[in-house]
Amino acid sequence: MIKPYKLKDHICRFCKMFSLDDPSVPKALFETEAVKPDLKGFPYPLPSKKSQYSCSARTGNIDWYGASNGLTRYDASAEREEDKVMFFSAPRDLLDNNIKALLPEGDNLWVLTESGVTRIEMRLVGAEEKADILRDESEKYVDRRGMKSQKHLREGRNLDSILPYGHSDNDGCFTATYAMGEIFRYAVYKREKGIDHPDTILAKKYATRASEATLLLMHISGRGDGFVARTYLCPDEPVPDDGIFFRKNGDTAVCLETTCSKEWGCVGAEIYCGAEIPERLSKLYTDLGYSHDGIVYKADTSSDEISTHFLFFKFVHDLLGCDDPELDEIVISTCKRLMNHIIDNGYILRDFTGKATSWAKWNEEYFSSDFGYVDACLNSSEVLMYHLVTMDITGEQGKWRESYEHLINDKHYDDYAAKHFNRLFQASISMEFDFQEDIMYGDHMLACVSYLGLCLLEKDEVRLEKYRNGFRSWRTSLEREHNPGYDLPFKIACPDDEIDFEALATWFYRTNASRLAAGVSLDTRHDIAVQTLMAGNKEISVLLPPDERFISKYDRNPVALVNEDSGGIMCVESAYVYGYAYWMGRYYGFFE
Amino acid sequence: MKNKIHLVGNAHLDPIWLWRWQEGCGEVLQTFRSAVDRIKEYKGFVFTCSSASYYKWVEEIDPALFEEIRKLVKKGKWVPVNGWWVQPDCNMPDAESFARQALYSQLYYYEKFGTICKTGYNVDSFGHSAMLPQFLNQGGMKCYVMMRPDKNENKEMPENLFWWDSADGSRVLTYRIPTGYGESGINAINKAVEVMEDRAEKSGHGMMLFYGVGNHGGGPTKGDIEHLINLMDDEGYEHLEFSSPDDFFSDICAGQLDVPEWKDELQHHASGCYSATSLVKQLNRKAENWLKSAEKWNTVAASVSDLPAATKSFGDAWKEVCFNQFHDIFCGCSIMEAYDDVRDSMGYAMHIAAKEENKALLKLAGYVDTWLDGVSDSKTCNERHHCRNLDFPRPVIVFNPLSFEVETPVRTYHPSSRVVDCDGNDVLFQNVRSSRSNDSHLDTEFIVKLPAFGYATYWLWHADSDVGVYKMPVSDLKLDGFTAENEFIRVTFNETNGSISNIVNKADGKEYIGGETCIPTVVDNSEPDTWAHNIFRFDKVIAPMQFKSIEVVENGAARIVIRVKHIYNNSYLTQDFILSSGSKILRVKCKANWQEALTILKMPVTVSGSNPISTYEIPGGIIKRPCNGEEEPALTWGDVTADGKGISVISDSKYSYDCTGNTLRLTLIRNSIFADHYSDRPAADFNYTDEGVNRFEYALYPHSGNAENSDIQKIASLFNNRPVAVPVGYHKGTEPQKKSFISISKPNVSLLSFKFCEDGSGDWILRLAETEGKAVKCAIVCDLIDAGFYADFRKFEIKTFRINKDGYVRWTNFLEGIPE
Repeated sequence: MIKPYKLKDHICRFCKMFSLDDPSVPKALFETEAVKPDLKGFPYPLPSKKSQYSCSARTGNIDWYGASNGLTRYDASAEREEDKVMFFSAPRDLLDNNIKALLPEGDNLWVLTESGVTRIEMRLVGAEEKADILRDESEKYVDRRGMKSQKHLREGRNLDSILPYGHSDNDGCFTATYAMGEIFRYAVYKREKGIDHPDTILAKKYATRASEATLLLMHISGRGDGFVARTYLCPDEPVPDDGIFFRKNGDTAVCLETTCSKEWGCVGAEIYCGAEIPERLSKLYTDLGYSHDGIVYKADTSSDEISTHFLFFKFVHDLLGCDDPELDEIVISTCKRLMNHIIDNGYILRDFTGKATSWAKWNEEYFSSDFGYVDACLNSSEVLMYHLVTMDITGEQGKWRESYEHLINDKHYDDYAAKHFNRLFQASISMEFDFQEDIMYGDHMLACVSYLGLCLLEKDEVRLEKYRNGFRSWRTSLEREHNPGYDLPFKIACPDDEIDFEALATWFYRTNASRLAAGVSLDTRHDIAVQTLMAGNKEISVLLPPDERFISKYDRNPVALVNEDSGGIMCVESAYVYGYAYWMGRYYGFFE
Repeated sequence: MKNKIHLVGNAHLDPIWLWRWQEGCGEVLQTFRSAVDRIKEYKGFVFTCSSASYYKWVEEIDPALFEEIRKLVKKGKWVPVNGWWVQPDCNMPDAESFARQALYSQLYYYEKFGTICKTGYNVDSFGHSAMLPQFLNQGGMKCYVMMRPDKNENKEMPENLFWWDSADGSRVLTYRIPTGYGESGINAINKAVEVMEDRAEKSGHGMMLFYGVGNHGGGPTKGDIEHLINLMDDEGYEHLEFSSPDDFFSDICAGQLDVPEWKDELQHHASGCYSATSLVKQLNRKAENWLKSAEKWNTVAASVSDLPAATKSFGDAWKEVCFNQFHDIFCGCSIMEAYDDVRDSMGYAMHIAAKEENKALLKLAGYVDTWLDGVSDSKTCNERHHCRNLDFPRPVIVFNPLSFEVETPVRTYHPSSRVVDCDGNDVLFQNVRSSRSNDSHLDTEFIVKLPAFGYATYWLWHADSDVGVYKMPVSDLKLDGFTAENEFIRVTFNETNGSISNIVNKADGKEYIGGETCIPTVVDNSEPDTWAHNIFRFDKVIAPMQFKSIEVVENGAARIVIRVKHIYNNSYLTQDFILSSGSKILRVKCKANWQEALTILKMPVTVSGSNPISTYEIPGGIIKRPCNGEEEPALTWGDVTADGKGISVISDSKYSYDCTGNTLRLTLIRNSIFADHYSDRPAADFNYTDEGVNRFEYALYPHSGNAENSDIQKIASLFNNRPVAVPVGYHKGTEPQKKSFISISKPNVSLLSFKFCEDGSGDWILRLAETEGKAVKCAIVCDLIDAGFYADFRKFEIKTFRINKDGYVRWTNFLEGIPE
């Protein structure tokens, strides 16, 4: 039994921007005399070159140094090494990086830069409190009929400029992960506070809404054959030009014109869409006054959705379904239908073309192709996980067991798992890349959900060890991230293996209390080294704390030099990134 | 369709073995000429050759031939492999040596051919240490060809092709040659083709067949090539193809390949190679350490003064060291005359180190403020050679090349009456017997505390000075009979046989000795050849050496010395056991006069407890091996730990150990006939590899917990890299009397190298390594060059950083970011 790690309250940065002429900016800021700090013999690496520092200030025991490329905070007495020197940069924390003057205001700091003013407040925030703040932000700003991926802004960094629409290619994946986080929260509250506690009731509400939104994506196409949509739009939402979309009308959905559909030659293609959608799910849009007609769904769905959906099935059934039989019934029937779709179509997700979608293929034919050769290790594990989850939540064996045994005994799918790193590495050699450059970061999440599911549910020790070895095969790349959303599933799946809880604590402590996307300035930092890899990609020598690197979902290289905000900087991201990791950790007893 | 057999035409070239380097050089020229001619004669024929030093020879002696080779390299007809200076021994060079092997070679290839080698290639080296994949990767190579040990020597290792991983996460796709590296002649080639076809079919992937006369060069003969061409023309042999290792790996990686993984070292082939010919081992250790220190100091001094950077000189010196790491040289299995050349070559390298270090340290010392008011007015000492001021102490600046703080004894060549540090605190010292008979016969040994990669000034009052009454710090040393102790350890000698009967580690109060310890033991070496082919244990004990005497030689405030002497036939071994104040080790200074043919001298250390674990330092890492008595290569230390009590045996020049149960034995001497390859030893007045006087040191370090959780890496590093004490004059200066040039925030990250970039840009190169097998985030601050940065290190990871004049840092590899 692991001793829970105690996550303490920790300082968190809150930066508010003002224009130069904003009356709430103290005049003294403009009059303050710049005092160049004496940094000779400074004991830690500094984010700016010493000669770049031009002004300084002190708030309590904290020193602040302003430079031409950002702001440095120095807390000599900080308990954790990574908290001793912190860096603030534009556009995330500042309007620009050229610091002109600093003015303390109690424990807070006013920062004058070339183009504006920032007020920085460092506030103690608990890990759970941060989860609340982030959830509230997502519920208020990111939510789109229960889906939680991102929302776009008219104006960068301004939540008040939120657009009512916005979608992600992987709405299903991100919403399912958000739902799992809130389901874990509900289970924790139920265990710790009781089912009738207001916090528990509220948690159930949010968990249920996200679960319904996830399930709706598995019905929204109206095909009735278990096909899952990537996302859907209501009639008044603009249709983006980045994939295959169908607009429903009556029993027929028609493929809309996009660059992609033109390339595929399928503009105007028609497909049945009249299958019934559970009313409890469709209420997510009908309650807003929309009907089924005019709904646009996105096809060519990938395994990202399917894999997160199946792990979601497990937890929504285990932890939420027990208190919501109606929802549980939908979960079970949806799961069965999707599993049937995959098996009956020869282990693919069959698109309107009658063929597999681009990225949801789990059959041998794909595995033996040049591209599928590397994917086989992950995809084989994904589809095995789907089977185990289906058997687990339905309590049935039959077809599912038969198919599972077929894939293992006849097709040896369980033997692919541990080959992942070898094949990835081989591919990198053949392309003359460094292997880091060949990592598909979004696959990390898929590997984690697959192996977590497999290792939770497989009882046969020989197969279980194969799955654990499969998970271990991903550690070389997973370890680069120190992401608790990956490391905790690994620890659950492989309890005898070590993970670095201190690094995970840093992740929780230093994650911002907002998912408002904005870049950071890495390329002028003086305290990191930059490496150019074989194919020209640039990485930094150290995994920076999350509040000093770009904001992304679980799908970007966190040591990339360039800002890789996955939704761009004109958006606010989903809180799933934090909530999934934190509440899973709480649920499994890793954290107090 | 059959899997492809890649026919790799090559010539194995030993530049020194049963001949001296001059003949080896000639052999290279002839072989390269021959290979160029064959390429011109036979369409499709491709020639593969390793070792940058050979190309350099050709460039210098036959530039026309070199130009032809350049053109053939561009056309892909000639394929340089192994971006290292030679095919070195792959167990004994340290991590920095492997970095230099790659640095000088790959940059040479890049300059001359516009490309670097993609494939590592050490087909004859006798074993391959576990961190080699990292060294290869950091030198720009992702694939590797090796041959030894063969299938009979190691049955567990995968055959043919496998992923080889080192502990830091590096990996190379490795081809293990199943036959030989130089098949030649119709019958041999035909047989090899059959073997390869069989393996290609069973493994499901292509294979490489290496052909061409080798060892003394030669390469593919006309007969070989024509036979292969004829074979390829025959029906059913379409799968044979002239190729190179680069093309083999490209081809194989383009297909679907599932091969096994291997996460261990590749041993054992010739277990005697790590102890044969002590001279070359001692020279290598000394040269490696001296060059590293000297270049660090040159870099510091050249950064703050008008002293020029000596990058070119250090390159010249390192190339000599790299050359002498060639497997048949470093492994001690070449002819005796070759070691005269090795001694000269290493002497050249070390003289460069000595000169550059001296210039740098005196330059730096000149900036330190050592002025004392009134010093120019007072009387001077009249002692010959030590003319000095008796009214004032003399400054001695002690330089520490290591990247961590150290506390250790240092020595100056005159006696003292008082020693104080730069803050005015008295420090422990002792006047000890010097190596001279002149003057006082005494030196001063004093205990210094030095900052990380920096210096501290100490003030020594001459023995003739009137220092009045002062209070020297209380020493922690105590002697009772033949029991000596300090703050950390208590050691007791057996007066009847000179062994160590007890060691108590005061940290836990436990007794660490569990049996025979420090009784030199003579082992039979008559059966093994110089390499000890097919022999993996040296376990035929003849007898322990006979105890002769034990005496207390010194008993002072800074150290206690107990001298033990053993004899055997016409030989003797004197061991001075030195326990210094504040030291965690028992240092043993040895002098052996060895006259016993075909013998081995081993020094056993036995730890008490059960479940013994043996651990060793290897290049760039640490490894655990079974305690099964097999002879094992190691760098500066081996360790045996049982029930949480460990004793590390540290050495200044040895590379070979064995461990049976709780007993770890350091191999001190191995007296073999030179280059004896299981000959019938015809009657002759043989010369032996270790005969005569051998001077060396080892040390015992008792510690609690496993070796990797102790301070062994630092302690062994200090044992092999002693601070340098530089007596200086009185002068004004701008620098303080104590200073560190670098701060590294984590104890398990150490500085391997601090140098200027080879491209002449003036950029600095910092190479750092994680040393204890624990991943860590580390802060590095070097005010000297206005650099400070963070880096994550995986366990045992080496990282090389390039810093420009503005202090901006690029993370590169051994090649310093020079090849684009």
